[in-house]
Amino acid sequence: MKTFEKILLTNMERPEYTGSLADYEGTGGYKALKTVLGKTPPNDLIEMVKKSGLRGRGGAGFPTGVKWGFIPKDHPGPKYLCCNADESEPGTFKDRQLMERDPHQILEGIAISCYAIGAQTAYIYIRGEFRLAAKILERAIAEAYRAGHLGADIHGSGVTVNVSVHAGAGAYICGEETALLESLEGKRGKPRTKPPFPATHGLYQKPTVVNNVETLANVPHIVNRGADWFASIGVPPKSTGTRVFCLSGHVKRPGNYELPVNATFRDLIFELGGGMRSDKPLKAFIPGGASAPFLTPDHVDVQMDFESVAMAGSMSGSGGITVMEEGTSMVWAALRLMEFFYHESCGKCTPCREGSSWIVQILQRIMNKQGRPDDLRTLTEICENIGGRTVCAFGDAEIAPVQSTLKYWRNEYEALIEEAEALKGSRKEIPVLSLA
Amino acid sequence: MSNTSTMVTLTIDGIRTEVPEGTLVIEAARQVGIMVPHFCYHPKLEPDANCRMCLVEIEKIPKLQTSCSTRVAEGMVVRSSVPHVESARKSVLELLLGNHPLDCPVCDQGGRCDLQDFSHEYTPTVSRFKELKRVFPKQYLGPVIETQMNRCVSCMRCVRYCDEVMDAQALAAEGRGTITQITHWAGNELECDMCGGCIQICPVGAITSRLSMYDYRPWMLKRTETICSYCGDGCQITVQRKDDQLIEVNSALGAGRNNGDLCVRGYFGYHAAEHPDRVQQPLVRQADGSFAEVTWEEALDRVARQFTRIKATHGSDAIGGLITTRCTNEDLYLFQKFMRVVIGTNQIDSGARYGHINGVRALRRVQGTHRWTIRYEDLAQADAIMLVGTNVNESNPITALHVKQAVKRKGAQLVTLESLLPVRSTVSNITTLSKHHLEVKSGQFSAAILGLVKAVVESNLVQEDVAREAPEFVQTIRTNVAKVSWDAIREQSGLSQTDVETAARTYSQAERAVVLVGREVLRSLGGEGLVTNLMDLQILTGHLRRSGSGLGCLAEGSNDQGAVEMGAVAEYFPGPAGLHDEESQKTLTRTWGQAVPAGAPATLPEVLTRARTGDIKSLFIVGDNPVESLPGDAGVTEALDALEFLVCQDLFLTETAKRAHVVFPACSAMEKDGTFTNTEGHVQSVRQATEPLGESRPDWEMFSALSVLMDHPIEYNEVKEIFKEIRGVIPGYGLLGPASTPPKVDEKTVAQYVTSGFKEDVDQRYTLDASPAAPEGALTLRLVQSLYHSGKYSTRAKGLMEIEGEGRLHVNAREAGRLGIEEGQTVRLANDGGQATVSVKLNDRVPDAVAWFPEHFDEPVRALFSLKVDPHTHVPVWKTAHVTVTKWSSTNRSIEERSRV
Ligand SMILES: Cc1cc2nc3c(=O)[nH]c(=O)nc-3n(C[C@H](O)[C@H](O)[C@H](O)COP(=O)(O)O)c2cc1C
Ligand code: SF4
Ligand code: SF4
Ligand code: SF4
Ligand code: SF4
Ligand code: FES
Repeated sequence: MKTFEKILLTNMERPEYTGSLADYEGTGGYKALKTVLGKTPPNDLIEMVKKSGLRGRGGAGFPTGVKWGFIPKDHPGPKYLCCNADESEPGTFKDRQLMERDPHQILEGIAISCYAIGAQTAYIYIRGEFRLAAKILERAIAEAYRAGHLGADIHGSGVTVNVSVHAGAGAYICGEETALLESLEGKRGKPRTKPPFPATHGLYQKPTVVNNVETLANVPHIVNRGADWFASIGVPPKSTGTRVFCLSGHVKRPGNYELPVNATFRDLIFELGGGMRSDKPLKAFIPGGASAPFLTPDHVDVQMDFESVAMAGSMSGSGGITVMEEGTSMVWAALRLMEFFYHESCGKCTPCREGSSWIVQILQRIMNKQGRPDDLRTLTEICENIGGRTVCAFGDAEIAPVQSTLKYWRNEYEALIEEAEALKGSRKEIPVLSLA
Repeated sequence: MSNTSTMVTLTIDGIRTEVPEGTLVIEAARQVGIMVPHFCYHPKLEPDANCRMCLVEIEKIPKLQTSCSTRVAEGMVVRSSVPHVESARKSVLELLLGNHPLDCPVCDQGGRCDLQDFSHEYTPTVSRFKELKRVFPKQYLGPVIETQMNRCVSCMRCVRYCDEVMDAQALAAEGRGTITQITHWAGNELECDMCGGCIQICPVGAITSRLSMYDYRPWMLKRTETICSYCGDGCQITVQRKDDQLIEVNSALGAGRNNGDLCVRGYFGYHAAEHPDRVQQPLVRQADGSFAEVTWEEALDRVARQFTRIKATHGSDAIGGLITTRCTNEDLYLFQKFMRVVIGTNQIDSGARYGHINGVRALRRVQGTHRWTIRYEDLAQADAIMLVGTNVNESNPITALHVKQAVKRKGAQLVTLESLLPVRSTVSNITTLSKHHLEVKSGQFSAAILGLVKAVVESNLVQEDVAREAPEFVQTIRTNVAKVSWDAIREQSGLSQTDVETAARTYSQAERAVVLVGREVLRSLGGEGLVTNLMDLQILTGHLRRSGSGLGCLAEGSNDQGAVEMGAVAEYFPGPAGLHDEESQKTLTRTWGQAVPAGAPATLPEVLTRARTGDIKSLFIVGDNPVESLPGDAGVTEALDALEFLVCQDLFLTETAKRAHVVFPACSAMEKDGTFTNTEGHVQSVRQATEPLGESRPDWEMFSALSVLMDHPIEYNEVKEIFKEIRGVIPGYGLLGPASTPPKVDEKTVAQYVTSGFKEDVDQRYTLDASPAAPEGALTLRLVQSLYHSGKYSTRAKGLMEIEGEGRLHVNAREAGRLGIEEGQTVRLANDGGQATVSVKLNDRVPDAVAWFPEHFDEPVRALFSLKVDPHTHVPVWKTAHVTVTKWSSTNRSIEERSRV
C-alpha cells in the first residue's frame, strides 16, 4: 500500500488532542475562516470547491461545489445550510467520531460553507441517539461563539453565521435530505416529492444546502491547502480526496480508517483491518452502507472511489464496509437488512411501504423453511416494482440486499426452499380454499 | 382560465393538446379524455405523489414519472397505457391489496370505491400475496366520524384536505411504514370543524360517517341535487335516499359555489327534516286550549273565515305577517303578494330584519345595488381581504373556505377585525391566517370602523381623484374624524392607532381588496350606518369602483337576500323597490291586476307592538319564531296572547306556534321545489329530494289555497309559474345559477351620494356614542353562532346534536382561572333580568372578560338579555348582556360524561 496523508483524522489521532477550541486553534484551526470571510468572494469559494472535486460523503456522492452553485444568488429572503448528522445507515459510524473528537473542524466547515452560499443560519440535524456528540457540538458551538468564530459580524467581516443543533427522534429516514427538512420544520419526517429541490425550495421553502458532516469537515482543508492539492488525491478528476471508511463485521480490527479514495477494499479489509477475524475466508462485503448491494471476494481489488464501485455493480455510498465470512447465511443477512428497512420505511409511498413488508415476510418464511418454489420469482418482481418507482432513494436502497444476494447466492435461497418442499408432507398445512 | 398564461403543447397517448403552462400532466390527460388511475391526487390538494398509481412514461426521462406531480413541458411526449406503465400500475394495486382486508361486502364505499374500480380493471382475481395482513384495532374517533384503518391506502388525502383546505389540521398520520394510520391528535374525542371533507375525499372506505354506516349500498340510493338551507352560502348538495329514508348528503367536486366542499351543517345536519316532532297534520285549537288534528279543508276554511271576518270588521291593517328567510323565493314572494293583495296590508316583515336588512339598505344607498359587486372568484384574486365582525367560519363556512384559499394559495393579505383571539386549535380559526388581526372589543365595531376611516383620511391614503371630485365629502369626513381622538377609539374598541393604521394601509394599498361584513356589524345598533361608513372607506380608497374590489354583507339565513329581493320586508316591494317607487307600483299593479295597498308598513318590532296595543288583531306567522328569537323582555308572548287570531305555519310546534289558533304543517326545504338567492346574489334551484312528511305542504300552496277560499284567487299550478311571475317583476331573476358577472356600482347613485346624500347623517355616523361600561366585576355574555348549528332548526338534526347537544358557557382558561371555575362545572349567571345555571367549556379563542353562549341553545339564558331596537332600521339587538358568574356546583361533568362514552 502506498503511503498517504490523512486529512480529517490527523488531529484527533494525536493522543493529546481533546477537540477543544484551544487544541483546534493550536493546529491552525479557524485560520481558513479568517482568511476567506469577507475577503474571498463567495463565488470564488464555490468555484474552489468545484475545482477540488469534493463529492458528498452522505451517500449520493453529489459534487459539493455544483450543489452550492444551484443556490439562487439573488434570492432576497433567508437561505439555510443543514449539516446532515443523522448518520443512521447500518455499518456507518464516521460522522459520530468526527463530531465527538473534532467538532470545530465541522463548525469551521459549516461557517465557511454558509458564507459561500450566503446563508446566515445553519442547523446541525443530529441523530437522536447521538447524545454525547450533540453535547460536544453544543459545547463547541458555545466556545466558537465566545471566540467570535460564529455569531454576528464574525471577526469584523460583516458576515453572520448562527449554528444550532437539532436532534432527531429516531427515524432513519430523517437522514434523507428532504425528510430531514420536514422534520426540522417540526413536521412528520417524510421525504418530499422532487422537484422542487432543496436548492430552491428547502427549509421553510427557502434555498437550502444539505451536506453531510464529513463533506463539510473537508472544506477548511480545501481552503487552507487549495483545490489543486485536494484534487490531486484519489482518482481525479471525478473522485478526489480521502474518505473515512467505516469497517465492521468479521474482521480483526473494525473501526474508522481514513484512506484516499483510490485505495482498494483489500487495503482496507486486509491491511488496515487486519483481515478476517477467524480463519474462515471472506464471503461477502457491503461496500457502502446497508443501502449498497453486496460484493464478493472477486471484488476486493476494486478501488473505493465512486466510479469504480459503481462499475463493480454497487456503490460506495456512505463509506460503511461490512465484511462477512464464509459460513454466513446470505439469506439471513438479506433478511436482517430487510427487517431494518421494513422497520424504517416511512410509509409514504406504496411500493416501499407495502413492498418492504411483503419481502420481509417472504424472507422470514424462507428462513423458517417454509419457502415456496415461486417465492424467488415473486421476490424478484417485487424488487423490480420498487426500484425507481418510489418517492425517495430508500426504495432503491432496500432492494439492494435482496437483489444482490439473489444474484450471487441464489443457490442458498434454493436450498432453503428445497428443504421446505421436502418438509412439506411432515408439516401440518393450513388448508387454503383455492378457486384457481 | 386567464388568457395571459403561456400555452404548452404536448402529446399524450398520441393526442396532441395545448394546455396552460404549469398544468399537471394528469390534468392535461383528463382534458383529452384520458383518466390516469390515481389515489392520492386530488384537484383540491397540492400534489403529494405518494401512491405511485399515476406513473406514466415521459419520453427522454429514464424513470416512470408521477403524472400527478409532473408539470407539462413544451414538446413533452407522454404515454399512459404502454405495457411498462400498465405493469407498474398493476403492481401498485397488488401491493395495496396485500394489506387490504377486502371487506367490500360490508364497506360503505363498496360500489363507488377507487380501489375496487381499479382492481376490477387491472388485477387478476387471485392474489399471490399469501402473507399476514396488518390489522389495526378499532379506535373511537368521535360521535359522527368513524375510521376503518385496515382499508386505508395511506394516500393522505384526508390529512391534506383537513390541513390545506379546512385549515383545521385535526388529522394526522401516526406510526410508520405499513402501520401508518390516520388518527386525530391526543387521546380525546375528535374535535374539529366536522366538515365531513375527510370522508368525502377518502378514495376508499377508510373514513365513514357514523350517521349512515352499514345502512345502504351506493347503487340503492336515489340522488337529488339541491341547495343546503342552513346558511346564506347556498351550497349545492346531493341528497341521497333509500326509498324514502334520508341516507346521506354530500357534494360532488365541481358542484355549486362550494365546489363540493360542505360544512358540518350541510354534511351532518340533514336529519332535521325527519325529526319525529315534525307537525304532520293541520292543527286547530279547541275550546279547552288543546290542539286537535284536522283536515286541510277544515283548517284552511277556519283561517280563511277568520281573516275575512277580521279584515271586514277591523280593516286590512288589523292583520300582519311575518315569514322566515328559510323559505324559498317563491314562498316569500307569494306570501307578500298574499298579504298585500288578498289581505291588503303592507304590514309584513321577515327574518331579514334580524340584521341583513342593514346591509342591503346601506348598499342601495351608496352604490345603488342591493347585491355584492364581487363574487367568490374575486376573493381568490384579491390582494387584500378584510373581515369586519364576521365570525365567517361559523356563520358562512364556505365563504370562509374561499377566504382561506385566497390567503393560503394566492397569498392574499388578510385583515381581520373580529372579537376573538387568534388561537390555534384543531378547529379552524380564520384569524390565525391574518396578516393583521385587530381584536375588537366585543360589540365595539363602531369605534373600530371609525378608526379605519380616520386612519385612511389622516395617513394620506385617500385617492387623489376622490379628493378632487368630491372635496366636500372628503372634507366633511376629515372634520368629523378629527373630532374623535385615538385615545377614545382605543378606549372603546381596544385598538391602538398603529394597529388600525397598519391595517388601513394594507387595505388601501392593495390593488384588489374585498371587505366582508358580518353579524357583529349587521346585527348591531346603527348597523346601517356602520356599513355606510365602510362604504365611505371604499370610496375614499378608490376600491368602490375598482373591478375586483368591493364589499359583501354576509347573509346568514339561506334566503336572507331573497327575502329582501322578494319584497318580504317592511320597506320594500319586490325588487327591492321602495314603497313609493312609482315604476314598481305600476309594474305590480299591472302584474297583480290590482293596486298595491297604500297602508303603512310595519317592521317586526312594530308588528309586535301593534299586536300588543290591539291595532293588529291577527298575525300570520310563517316559519318565524319571535318568541324564541327575541329576549324575554321583548314582550312577544304578551303580543301574541293579545291577538284575536294567530296562524302559524311551521315544521315544528315552536313556542310561537304553540300559541296559535291554527297551525299549518309546512314542508322542509328538502321536500319542495323553488329557488334560494345566496349571499353572493346567485339564484339557485332548490329541488324536492324527499316526499313531504305526513300532510305537510309547501308554504306557497297554503297562500294560494287561502286566496281561493277568501274569494281572491292567486293560483299557480306549479312553483315554476311563480318564478315566471317573479322574473317579470324583478330584474336579475332572468337567470338561474351563478350569474356570469356581478352587478356594477350605479355611478349615478354614487355621484349623488358623494355630492349630497352623505350629508344626511354623516355627523351622527362619525361620532362615538359612549357605550355603557360593564358593571364592575361583570362578564360580558354574548350569544354567538356556533359552527355546528344554524338557528334553532339545526337542533333537531341528530348528527349535529351528537356533535354539540347543549349550550355551554365558553370562557378562556385565564378567565376560568380568575373565576375559579373549571371545564364541566356548573355556574350560575345572574343580572337584573334573571339567572341561569349552565355548564362551562374552556375555549381559548374567547377574549378575556367575555363569555360566549351558543344562541341555538339560548333558552335557559334568554332572560338575562334585554331588547334594544335600532331606532332607524328597527333591527332588534339583544345578544350581549353583562352578568356575574358564580360557581354553582363542583360536579365535574366531563368526567361523568367520559365514563358514559
Ligand atoms: C434513506 C436515506 C437515508 C439517508 N441518510 C443519510 C444520513 O444519515 N446522513 C447523510 O449525511 N446523508 C444521508 N442520506 C443522503 C442525503 O439524502 C443527502 O444526499 C446528503 O445528506 C447530502 O449531503 P452530501 O452531498 O454532503 O453527501 C440519506 C439518503 C437516503 C435516501
Ligand atoms: S421510498 Fe420508502 S422511505 Fe422513501 S418516501 Fe417512499 S415509503 Fe418513504
Ligand atoms: S375538519 Fe374534521 S371533518 Fe373536516 S376534514 Fe378535518 S377531521 Fe375531517
Ligand atoms: S383514510 Fe382514506 S383518505 Fe385518509 S389516508 Fe387513508 S385512504 Fe387516504
Ligand atoms: S350551512 Fe352554509 S356553508 Fe354549510 S353546507 Fe349549508 S350552505 Fe354550505
Ligand atoms: S396519484 Fe400520483 S402518486 Fe398518487
